[in-house]
Amino acid sequence: MASIKEIQVRMKSIQDTMKITNAMYMISSSKLKKAKKSLEATEPYFYTLQNTMSQILRHIPDVENIYFDQHEGKNPEDKKIGYIVITADKGLVGAYNHNILKLADEQLQNCANPVLFVVGEVGRQYFKRKKIDIQEEFHYTVQNPTLGRARNIAETVMEMYRHGSLDEVYIIYTRMTNFIQAEAEMIKLLPWKRSDFYIKPPIDVPMEELALKPDACTVVNHIAADYFVGFVYGALVESFCSEQNSRMLAMEAAVDNAGEMLRELGIIYNRARQAMITQQITEVISGAKAQKKKKLS
Amino acid sequence: MGTFSLKVLAANRIFFEGRCESLIIPSLDGLVGILANHENMVIAVKEGFIRIKPEDGSEIEALVSIGFFEIMNNRATLLVQTIERPEEIDIARAREAEERAKERLRQKQSLREHYHSQASLSRAMSRLKAASKYR
Repeated sequence: MASIKEIQVRMKSIQDTMKITNAMYMISSSKLKKAKKSLEATEPYFYTLQNTMSQILRHIPDVENIYFDQHEGKNPEDKKIGYIVITADKGLVGAYNHNILKLADEQLQNCANPVLFVVGEVGRQYFKRKKIDIQEEFHYTVQNPTLGRARNIAETVMEMYRHGSLDEVYIIYTRMTNFIQAEAEMIKLLPWKRSDFYIKPPIDVPMEELALKPDACTVVNHIAADYFVGFVYGALVESFCSEQNSRMLAMEAAVDNAGEMLRELGIIYNRARQAMITQQITEVISGAKAQKKKKLS
Repeated sequence: MGTFSLKVLAANRIFFEGRCESLIIPSLDGLVGILANHENMVIAVKEGFIRIKPEDGSEIEALVSIGFFEIMNNRATLLVQTIERPEEIDIARAREAEERAKERLRQKQSLREHYHSQASLSRAMSRLKAASKYR
């Protein structure tokens, strides 16, 4: 059995760690409240944006446009594919970072020319360690997502796409599926593919015509930029909320486990203390007995 | 007068949801008025004023940034990045942003930065214009 001193030191260290995890739990739960509020405000926009977009793409007339260009002439191996990967700035978030990076890794294996845009410090460190090149001057944190930041990200990526240094763009982020669960997800942002959205119309319903103002090409260009910014912003908000959520859950579990460990160690400690006392009493009694015998004889 | 259902959504809030009689939005080539049973259409929206006339006869005005508008089968959706009522505009902040954007436009910069500054400038200017009109 471990000595009493050792058990005490161990209990002390667990208590200290518990203080930290408990504090982190409190911080992330208050941040989560804020994040959930902004998520609630953004979600209608985010989902309507996606729905409207698919509706428009279903009805839009055929136009020659860079955003529809599938680059079919190119070899799949030659395609330069951009990935926007949104991770956390810190660890201690349970499986949050792991899920995102796993998804990204899977994609990178099938891709010869990846261009990585990493948001969040954990992802940057991860790819650096694996010696995978990332866009260096792309330094954005994930704390407190704002529209301005989404605009900056979108502008950088869109410009590269327009100049042909990217052929496809994907975004990897974490979406809150409901109020307690989050899921890593990958969405293709560019180029748009009509067949992604196409649903076969019933025979008796005529295909609706959709007029575009001022003209198809201008509208597509305009919407593309707007959609990109909107999507990046939505993804940033969703990710931030998921991050706080999973950190809160991870810290809650850590506090619970620490409490459980403390309880078990407490029992061991008491047993050891009892054993020590019993031993001391036995020693005293046996000493007294020996004295008595000496006197009698 | 006929009505149509309208949803006005910005990136950080739901601005309007309900039936309305008419809507005026700033498109790339001028103001466009929308009435009930409009032809199905998608319109690119730039910075400027929108005017909503809900069923009850009141009138709502607001300032929007870029986005797009879609009407299909008498259901309209306006999706913009930001939307503010005139009284919500922070004049000091808008003026600062205007100064900053002008300053940046004067300096030599890459094409992307140029577009960025131009966009910020037009946002700031439309805010200031709206605010001065209502105070």
